[in-house]
Amino acid sequence: MVRITNVALLSLLCAAALLAQQANSISHALFRVAPLAGVNFVLRNSPTSRKYLVETMPGGVALLDYNNDGLLDIFFVNAGRVRDPMVKPFDFDRNNSAYWNRFYRQNKDGSFTDVTEQAGLANAGETNYGMGVAVGDYDNDGYPDLYVTNFGKNILYHNNGDGTFTDVTARAGVAAGGWSVSAGFLDYDNDGKLDLFVTRYLDWSFEKSKTCGTGKATYCPPGEFPAISNILYHNRGDGTFEDVSVSSGIAALKGHGLGVAFADYDDDGFTDIFVANDVTDQFLFHNNGNGTFSEVGLDSGAALTNDGKMLSGMGVVFQDYDNDLKPDLLVTQLPHQPYVVFHNEGHGTFIPQELETGLGALSGKSSGWGVGLEDFDNDGWKDAFVVQGHVFDNVETFDSSLSYREPPLLAMNRQGHFEKGDPGSNVPVVGRGAAFGDLNNDGWMDVVATSLGDRPQFFLNRGGSAHWLTLTLRGTKNNRDGYGARVLVNGQLRFATASGSYLSSNDKRLHFGLGSADRANIEIVWPSRIHQNMTGVKANQFVVIEEPQGQ
Amino acid sequence: MIWYVLWFCLSPQTQSAEPLVPQEALVLLQAGADAERLRDLETAISDFRKASELAPTSGIAFLRLGNAYMEKRDYSAAIPALRKAAELSPGSLPVHQLLGFALLARGYAAEAIPHLEAAHEYGALGIAQLQNNRPAEALDNLQRALEKNPDDPDLLYYLSRAGSALSSQSLERLLARLPDSARGHQALGQNYYSLKMYDEAKQEYAKAISLRPDLPGLRLELGQVYAASSQWDKAEAQFQEEAALQPGNAEAAYRLGDALLQQGKMKEAAAELKRSDDLRPDMTETLYLLGKATAISEPALAEKTLSRVIELERDTILAGQAYFALAGIHRKLGKTAEAGKDMREFRRIQSLGDARSPRRP
Repeated sequence: MVRITNVALLSLLCAAALLAQQANSISHALFRVAPLAGVNFVLRNSPTSRKYLVETMPGGVALLDYNNDGLLDIFFVNAGRVRDPMVKPFDFDRNNSAYWNRFYRQNKDGSFTDVTEQAGLANAGETNYGMGVAVGDYDNDGYPDLYVTNFGKNILYHNNGDGTFTDVTARAGVAAGGWSVSAGFLDYDNDGKLDLFVTRYLDWSFEKSKTCGTGKATYCPPGEFPAISNILYHNRGDGTFEDVSVSSGIAALKGHGLGVAFADYDDDGFTDIFVANDVTDQFLFHNNGNGTFSEVGLDSGAALTNDGKMLSGMGVVFQDYDNDLKPDLLVTQLPHQPYVVFHNEGHGTFIPQELETGLGALSGKSSGWGVGLEDFDNDGWKDAFVVQGHVFDNVETFDSSLSYREPPLLAMNRQGHFEKGDPGSNVPVVGRGAAFGDLNNDGWMDVVATSLGDRPQFFLNRGGSAHWLTLTLRGTKNNRDGYGARVLVNGQLRFATASGSYLSSNDKRLHFGLGSADRANIEIVWPSRIHQNMTGVKANQFVVIEEPQGQ
Repeated sequence: MIWYVLWFCLSPQTQSAEPLVPQEALVLLQAGADAERLRDLETAISDFRKASELAPTSGIAFLRLGNAYMEKRDYSAAIPALRKAAELSPGSLPVHQLLGFALLARGYAAEAIPHLEAAHEYGALGIAQLQNNRPAEALDNLQRALEKNPDDPDLLYYLSRAGSALSSQSLERLLARLPDSARGHQALGQNYYSLKMYDEAKQEYAKAISLRPDLPGLRLELGQVYAASSQWDKAEAQFQEEAALQPGNAEAAYRLGDALLQQGKMKEAAAELKRSDDLRPDMTETLYLLGKATAISEPALAEKTLSRVIELERDTILAGQAYFALAGIHRKLGKTAEAGKDMREFRRIQSLGDARSPRRP
């Protein structure tokens, strides 16, 4: 007969209590979904009977603190008016205020004020159909700048530090052209200045547009149009950028780029780039450390599904979900193909593990776009949040098991295994962009999601009793945002970046859930390979960490 | 080929019934036959027409005239001549054969049937019966014709059409006479499933199961509807019940294994897939999934099963996928050289055809 000791009995009881607690946390909505006072943005994508592919793809959202008052502000990318049919000259009525991008400043009481005009962000360009946004302090002046991608010309808005922005695109030389989608700032050569990566989707135009489908017209798959290369701009440090797409090797490959995310997956000190491609092999650009990149997706195991098939990759996040201190990839895609988790095995290799992690079973029916890996319940494990909605606005007529409008997916991370969580809303929308951040500075991560033809959704974290720590990096030798730093807190890794998701830019602060720990040990490896350690840091606070000088 | 040129002579009983033909008409018939041999069909037709006018009660003259039109592929013109020949020589097999062909060629399947029956032309008869919505008889006659010409593409094509038509007809009868039977609902469920109307399909299968809970196959099919709509937990439940109902059914075990795998239940999936492989060894789909299910927990077994897939499938898409899965296992085991070799094979097979086409939507 087995003899149960008091200690063992206590352990069993504790385990049972823990399980019950976990069950409770799953059954209760983590978020309160509510509008934010003062935010009245509507993403106007203007769907037409012509099924112009561009109209089903916007739009992005960014969380940034543009005036350094400690409060997150919100920038929404609007799309534009598309006529049915579209006739020359092709413009999108962006001077009409209904189609402006919108910028909302957060007030101290948690409400927001529309400051689009006074910030100088009303002019999005008549011939630009809006897509996404990236945020980074490219001139290291302490104020975050905005880069807006378009079908058309992209725009770089320099933050003047006085509440206004100036369009510096022409001088900076970053207008690109064609159909840009997601973008992100990174310092790929560790020279302390943020460079810029832009994904492009297709070689598409209104003249080349066509519909697909038999009997019922719908949007064409990307294979109907030529693939196109992505763009890498190198920051010269004088307010201008150089297009190094060809010399860096980035332009050597053409794909159907949508999402982009950065991480140093092989810990060689240089930031690598992952591009989520739609029905093309996924691209993993390994940074060779000499200004060039090698595309290693197929050989590393991060290009195809576990059946060796192409993904319809859309959104992507590049963070460590299983706390093995190696950044993993989560790529969202179309239904009947689960979202793919490429687990970083070390030694530069990945293995698809969506089945083993349970995420596959939660995602097979859905179309995922914006995605984040954030610790929403502060238990020390990063959870997944995906905004969803199909590409086809008539998908139900093709397959009754699918829906154009979908609620988001919240997948709670239970020590590396994902379980369905309650996001607080089952209202189906046509989700696209998503940005993650702590909107009200309560130590609990929130979500802002965009929906086609609709108002954004705000998932406001209800909070709880677990501890947390949020870090703001301030580079001195490195880029001021600290992008590219590898930050370890109590056995968890975050790669410092605002990029990831789809079309969107996240709160650049690094948030860690600490569970029951009220202290934290912090280790930062700056891109310059400077190591910085802090021990016994009190939980539940925002800490600004400046890169040490002179090491 | 069903349609072939018929060189014929009249059968004895027809000859005996044939009235005397004037000498002038016989000369024309001979001239027409000579012209026909020289492929001068216009002259032949002219000669045969004149002969039929000189001998209006002669079946031979009309038969030769109809045959010449048939050779010219002018079936519309052949039909009146052949009808007259049949009237004058009702016992002539060649007349029935030609008239049956001509009528069938012009779409008069119902009228063609008695003539083709009389001529014992089973292939054309089967086609006519199929077109006349008599698939069961068509199936029999086409099979008889295929015994003589087993590789005739027309016969094979129409046989497959007859099979489909018979299936549809049986289904229609089932639904018309027994709409509320378990089989009726099952048939409707299959129809909805093929149309991707999954909700309706689920309802029909649920009705079928409520009527005949003991009927094998219903849960297997319902499970596949759930699987097609990525509802793997519900698919698993159905496959579990089917596997309990039919423990010796390898497909039920395979599909249950797949449903478990899709939910990340790797251990249970592996057990079920092993059971399926025991029941029906060397099914490559089963072995492939078993390789996936055991890739992490039992890499040696995974290597073995995936290698077996490659051995059995050689250069198919599934073999390519097996190489790809093997590459992942070898990477994980640190066997980078072997992983590289696997990927080269994967690429080679991909280059043979587009093995990676994704599904949309």
